[in-house]
Amino acid sequence: MKTIFDGKVRVLDISMGWAGPLAGQMFAEMGAEVIKVEDTHHFDWWRGSLSMAPPEMRPIERAAVFNTVNRGKRGVTLDLASARGIEILKRLVNVSDILVENFSPGVIDRLGLGYESVSAINPRLIMISMPSFGNDGPECNTRGYGNTIEAMAGVTGLTGYHDGDGQRYTLSNALGDPVGGLHGVFALMVAMRERERTGRGQLIELAQVEALIPFVADAILEYQFTGKAPAARGNRHRAHAPHGIYRCAGDDNWIALACDTDDQWRSLAGVLGMERIAADPRFAGASARKVNEDALDAELSRAIAQLNADDCLARIRDAGVLAAPVNPAPAVMADPQIQSREYFVAIDRAVVGTHLYPGAVARIPDNPLRADVPAPMLGEHNRQVFAEMLGMTDGEIAELERIGVIGSSPRQYRSAS
Amino acid sequence: MRYRALSDVRVVDLTHFIAGSYATKLLADMGADVIKVEPPWGEGGRKLGPHRAGNRDRGALFAFLNLNKRGVTLNLKHDRGRELAAGLLDGADLLVENFAPGTLAALGLAPDEMIAKFPRLSIVSISNFGQDGPERDGKLNDLVLFARGGWTFPVGEPDREPLTPPDSLAQYVGALYGAVAAMQALAARDLGLGHGQHIDVSILEATVATMIYETVTFQYTGIVRRREGKRYAVGPFLIVTLKCKDGYAGLHCVTDKQFEGLCDLMGRRELASDPRFNTALNRMLNNNALLEIVEAFFIGRERNWLYREGQRRAIPLVPIPSVAEVLEWEQTKARNYFETIDDPVLGTIRVPGTPLRLTSHRGEASRPAPQLGEHNREIFGGRLGLSDSTIDALEKAGTI
Repeated sequence: MKTIFDGKVRVLDISMGWAGPLAGQMFAEMGAEVIKVEDTHHFDWWRGSLSMAPPEMRPIERAAVFNTVNRGKRGVTLDLASARGIEILKRLVNVSDILVENFSPGVIDRLGLGYESVSAINPRLIMISMPSFGNDGPECNTRGYGNTIEAMAGVTGLTGYHDGDGQRYTLSNALGDPVGGLHGVFALMVAMRERERTGRGQLIELAQVEALIPFVADAILEYQFTGKAPAARGNRHRAHAPHGIYRCAGDDNWIALACDTDDQWRSLAGVLGMERIAADPRFAGASARKVNEDALDAELSRAIAQLNADDCLARIRDAGVLAAPVNPAPAVMADPQIQSREYFVAIDRAVVGTHLYPGAVARIPDNPLRADVPAPMLGEHNRQVFAEMLGMTDGEIAELERIGVIGSSPRQYRSAS
Repeated sequence: MRYRALSDVRVVDLTHFIAGSYATKLLADMGADVIKVEPPWGEGGRKLGPHRAGNRDRGALFAFLNLNKRGVTLNLKHDRGRELAAGLLDGADLLVENFAPGTLAALGLAPDEMIAKFPRLSIVSISNFGQDGPERDGKLNDLVLFARGGWTFPVGEPDREPLTPPDSLAQYVGALYGAVAAMQALAARDLGLGHGQHIDVSILEATVATMIYETVTFQYTGIVRRREGKRYAVGPFLIVTLKCKDGYAGLHCVTDKQFEGLCDLMGRRELASDPRFNTALNRMLNNNALLEIVEAFFIGRERNWLYREGQRRAIPLVPIPSVAEVLEWEQTKARNYFETIDDPVLGTIRVPGTPLRLTSHRGEASRPAPQLGEHNREIFGGRLGLSDSTIDALEKAGTI
C-alpha cells in the first residue's frame, strides 16, 4: 500500500533534541523523504556525549531516544560554520518542501537561513521555527528544554503530593518536547494543504511553551474564578474518594484505583474484604469519604498491601471499579491491549541491533504509517543524498569530506587524532 | 485566535469531553468549519471546569475547548435525527468522534457505510483503547490512564507512592494525535486515493508514545527508571527541581557548557575540572555529590535571581511558576498569547491562544463556544434547507 506522501514530499530537518526531530519523524512515517542534517562538531545533542564510551564503541550511535525520533530519515552532515556548508544547505532548501528548525532565537538568521533568505531561494518552501519561548518578547532567549518548558507552562507547579512540603516534580516524559513536535506536524500539514491552494509556502512560528499551556487551561480558568492558583492535588481528585495509588505485596508494586459513586465504593470494600469499613459512617457518602480521606486511604492501604497486584486488580475490576497497575516500562510494553494491537515495532539498527520502538499512533487503513525504518548513523547517507539530490560527483563528495564540510565521525575524534 | 487556513474544510464534530473536543478545536482554530453536534440535553463536557455562581450548565473549560465552533443539537436515537446527521455528513470532509467503539454503528451511522455513501468523508475515531483488542470497551480516567501508560511510576519520592501527573494532560496528547490524523486523512484523499477512510486513534497508545525515555531506553540499557525524588533521573546530567529561598526552580544541566555555566553561577569554577565532575560520565557516577553542592547553593538564593543569572550564562534554569504567574508572565503578555473571550454566560475569561502562528493570514478574534443548539436554525435552515416550521416541529418532537 502506498504511503500518504509516497516519496513526493521532501523535508529538510536541521532540528535537534526531540520536538523538531519528532515532526520530521512523523513526516517520514507518512512517506515523505526526510533529510536529517547534522554538523560533525555540533551533532544532535540527543546523541549524547562522546565521553560515555570509547570511540570504537560509537557512543553517539547508541542513544535510544535519538534512534527513536529520527527513524525513517536519511542522515547527512554539513559544517554549518563554513560558507561551503551553508551553500550546500541552501541547495537542499531549493529542492525541499519543508524546513524544520528549533535553534535558539536569532541563530537561524545568523546562519543566513532566515525565512526571507530561504523563501527567496524557494517560495514554495514551508518553514517551521520551533523556539522554546517564541522568537520575540522580553524572555525569548530563555534556554528551553522539555523540562524547563514544562515548568514555564505551569505544569510543574501543579505536580506535587497533596500533603507534600511544596516540593515540585518534573513529569517522566519531558512533555513539552513531544507536545511541541505534535503541534509542529499539525501546523505543517495545515500549511501543506494551504499551499495546494495558493501555491505559496510560509513561515510558521511555534513557541513550544505556548503549545503546552492549553493543557492546563482548567487550572488557569480556575484561578480566574477563585483568585487562587490551584494547589497540587497529588493522586487525589477534587471531589471523589478513594482516588489514589496503593502499594501491593512485593517490591515496588502499586495500583491506581478510583471510585466515582457510592455503589463502586461498596463493591470495592466488598471485594477487598473490608465490609466493616464499608459500614463505617465516616465513609458513607462521597462528601464524608472526601472529608475523611486520610483515614480512608490508611484503611485501603492496609488491605491492599497484603495482596498480590494481579489478584488485587482482578478483584477490583470485577467489582466495576476503575483500576490499573502503575506500570514501569517493561509492563507498559507487556500490556495486553498494547500487545494485542501490536503497537510496538521491532527494528534492527546498525551498532545497536534489534529493539522494539513505539509504532505510529494513527491507524490509517489504506495508507498505513511506516514507523519501522531505522534512524540514520551520522552522515550515513551523505553520498546518496548529495549525489541524487544535488547531482554531485564522487570526486566532489570526496573533496567535501577531505576539507571537513561533511563526514561520518565526530570532528572531535579527528582533531584528537 | 483563529486563522483561515482550513476555511475549505467542513467538519462534523460528534465529540465530547476533552480528547475529542480539543482535537476539533485545533481544526476550528485553523479556520475549519466545525459543527459540533450534541444531544438536545448537551454533551457531558458542558459542565467541565469552573462555573460562575448560579450557572452550573456551562463550565469554563467547555467554553475554551469549543471556541470557534458552531453548535447544533440532534437526538441521534430518533430516525429523523439520524437523517439530519447524514445530511450534515453529505459534503463534509471529516467526522471526528470519541464515542465508545461501536456506538456509531449502533446509532445507524456505521463508519464504513458512511464512507461508502459519502466517498469524500473521512472519519477519525478517538477512543480510550482503540477500535479493537480485548479491552476496546474498557473505561479510563486520568489517574488510571497515566498509571497504565507508564507516566506515573518514575515520578515521586523513592520511599513513597508514585505521583500522578496533574489534570488531563494525556487526553490532550490523544487530541493532538487525533487532529494530526484528521489532516492525514485529508492529505491521503487529496494527494492519492480520492476517497476518505476511517482512522483509529487510541488514547492509551498516544499516552505510551511519549514515553520513549522509558520504553526504548530500558531495552538499550537494561535499567528501568525508578523514582529519584526531585531528580528527573540519575544520569550523565543534572535535571532537578530545587528548593530555593522563595519557591522552587527547575534546572536542566546536560552539556559540558551548561555545567561550566552552572559552576560559574555558583562561584565554583574549579568544579568544572574536578575529577568527580569533569565529564558527563563522571557527573553520572558522582551525581549525589553534585546534587548536594547544587542544593546547598540554591536554597540560599531567590528564584528570580537564579533565573536571571542562570540564563545570562545560557543555563536552562527557570523559576517554577504557578498558573497565576503563567497568566501574568511578561513573555506571554508581550506576545499577546492569552486571548480575552466575552463569553455570553461566563463573562470575560482569558484563555490560552493558538500556539501556531501562521504568517499566511492575519489571525482573527476567536468566536465564543456555542450555546446549546445555538446554530440549529442557521445550519438546519441554511445548509439543509429546512423551513422554520419544520425546525419548530423537530424541536417540539425533541429531535433537536
